[in-house]
Amino acid sequence: MAFFLPISIKEPVNHALEQLVLRFGNALHLVNEAILQGALLPLEKLLRGAPPALILLLIALLAWHATRRLTHAAWLTGALYLIGCFGLWDMLMQTLALVLVSTVLAVLIGLPAGVLLARLPRLRRWALPVLDVMQTLPTFVYLIPAVMLFGLGKVPAILATVVYAVCPLIRLTELGIRQVDHDVAEAAWSFGTTRWQLLIGVQLPLALPSIMAGLNQTVMMALAMVVIASMIGARGLGEDVLAGIQTLDVGRGLQAGLAIVLLAIVIDRITQGWGRPRRPQRGNHEPH
Amino acid sequence: MKYLPTSLPITLFSLLLACAGTAGAADAPWCKAGKPVKLAGLNWESGALLTELIKTVLEQGYGCQTEIVPGTTVTLETALASNDIQVIAEEWVGRSEAWNKAAAEGKVKVAGKVIVGATEGWYVPDYVIKGDSKRGIAAAAPRLNSVADLPAYTALFKDEEEPARGRFLNCPTGWTCEGVNSQKLKAYGLQNSYVNFRPGTGAALDAEISSAYQRGKPILFYYWAPTALMGKYRFIKLQEPAYNEACFKTLANKDHPKPCGSAAPEALIQTALSKPLADADPALVAFFSRFNVPINVLNRALAHMADNKLDAAAEAKLFFAQQPKIWHNWLPADVAARIKQAQ
Repeated sequence: MAFFLPISIKEPVNHALEQLVLRFGNALHLVNEAILQGALLPLEKLLRGAPPALILLLIALLAWHATRRLTHAAWLTGALYLIGCFGLWDMLMQTLALVLVSTVLAVLIGLPAGVLLARLPRLRRWALPVLDVMQTLPTFVYLIPAVMLFGLGKVPAILATVVYAVCPLIRLTELGIRQVDHDVAEAAWSFGTTRWQLLIGVQLPLALPSIMAGLNQTVMMALAMVVIASMIGARGLGEDVLAGIQTLDVGRGLQAGLAIVLLAIVIDRITQGWGRPRRPQRGNHEPH
Repeated sequence: MKYLPTSLPITLFSLLLACAGTAGAADAPWCKAGKPVKLAGLNWESGALLTELIKTVLEQGYGCQTEIVPGTTVTLETALASNDIQVIAEEWVGRSEAWNKAAAEGKVKVAGKVIVGATEGWYVPDYVIKGDSKRGIAAAAPRLNSVADLPAYTALFKDEEEPARGRFLNCPTGWTCEGVNSQKLKAYGLQNSYVNFRPGTGAALDAEISSAYQRGKPILFYYWAPTALMGKYRFIKLQEPAYNEACFKTLANKDHPKPCGSAAPEALIQTALSKPLADADPALVAFFSRFNVPINVLNRALAHMADNKLDAAAEAKLFFAQQPKIWHNWLPADVAARIKQAQ
């Protein structure tokens, strides 16, 4: 008698996946098409079709609005310009579209989930381990089943990205709301606010720095997934990294990799800028 | 398709264990001298199975010590040239630089034709052309016959990300076939009507094909035999212009501006031996030169292996139980008898 009992979940999982593909494969492929036609493709078309100068101008404005510093805005815009110089502009736009759609989906899921968890401590005890699993399960384990269910390309990549990247947003939203001062909430109650008003008018604004930190993490993790997503045929900067590695063209891989880093820095600075409490227009610059 | 890089580190153990006088090694001088036979641990399905078959024959039939050394194709070819390993079960002769160099220098030998009739090309599932009455699938393209017909079928093989064009599922980037197929798209004038879709990894390619086949959907892809999917599903190969050496060179050069179409040359797949082993052991060479598994048997075994999620060693055991005619043919009677006894 062996010491280890022969336990295996291989058979039932394989069987279940096959059944899922047979029963729901076609329906899920329609979901795939809906996400593609409804969100990703129009956005991608817009970004790829727009003149690069216009997009750089928009980025500059966003960067200025977030950081309130002309130098910051200038060098963040310069970083994106450099990616264009590498000849990677088109891929950059594809990657940006992928990251934006993933982030929007993550916010749509993560924000309400975070609020809910802050309200219901019992649910939180169950949900946190699930979040841990979502973050640590090797991505490829669910990427390949996602391909079988949704088809090859960008949509399974987006879904895998959302699974992976939504966790910090949920955690930090929940944390931010829980940490809102009880006295402040009490004061609001005494003015006769409804729960909804309390949430929208008091808790969410006060939790904003924490939520923005979560969003920042989410975007960074989405960018980290870009290379992995290219392993299931999502085009963009990740594909160039993968191709560079697989053909031993180290320079090409590094160039695309640097482009991802630059994009990450730009998005990071902008989202961090929005998360910081607004500085007074004049007066001391606070250290950061 | 055999050149995918993997991260398997190559670990070479120098086995110094002598096993002089092992029973039954009398007719294999290499093994009688107590030297282990190191086999290349090929990491694709057919390569892994063939390696296990050889391992069984050497151990049970000739009383050899064997060891399987994992690695990528190129590292294994280099290791064979330096006699760090002695056998590569399935060598696609002439497809890689490392091999060509070693062969030119006479450091490696080949024996037999382990696989005859290996194919590669552009495939569609058979129900696309013939329909499948059992599953209620109507033939979507009964007149699709060759790659020249493809421009008319972009709507059938629609790329969801670019609905105006069709999708051709290429090899993952970094595989030799990826460059050839990209050139073929140019040569067949399809680069505007079809998206050159690279699936990123072999696993993703297999997953996409399996999913489409199970759902009975049309799909156009590059594939090759011997493989598990080829044994499991029925695919039809689209006709291409006959093999033409000059044209294939324009396809193999991925920067050639005006490639001309050509089918792939017939693959020469042999068992590769290191020169010291080939020189020292005529008995083993005699076995290797007869070593062959018919391709349909191989495809079925690979499909069985994939369906039941068996590893290559388990499938090899089944092979020896179920295919005595085939393996008896490789061996002298006394060696075959020893294997039979060991089963």
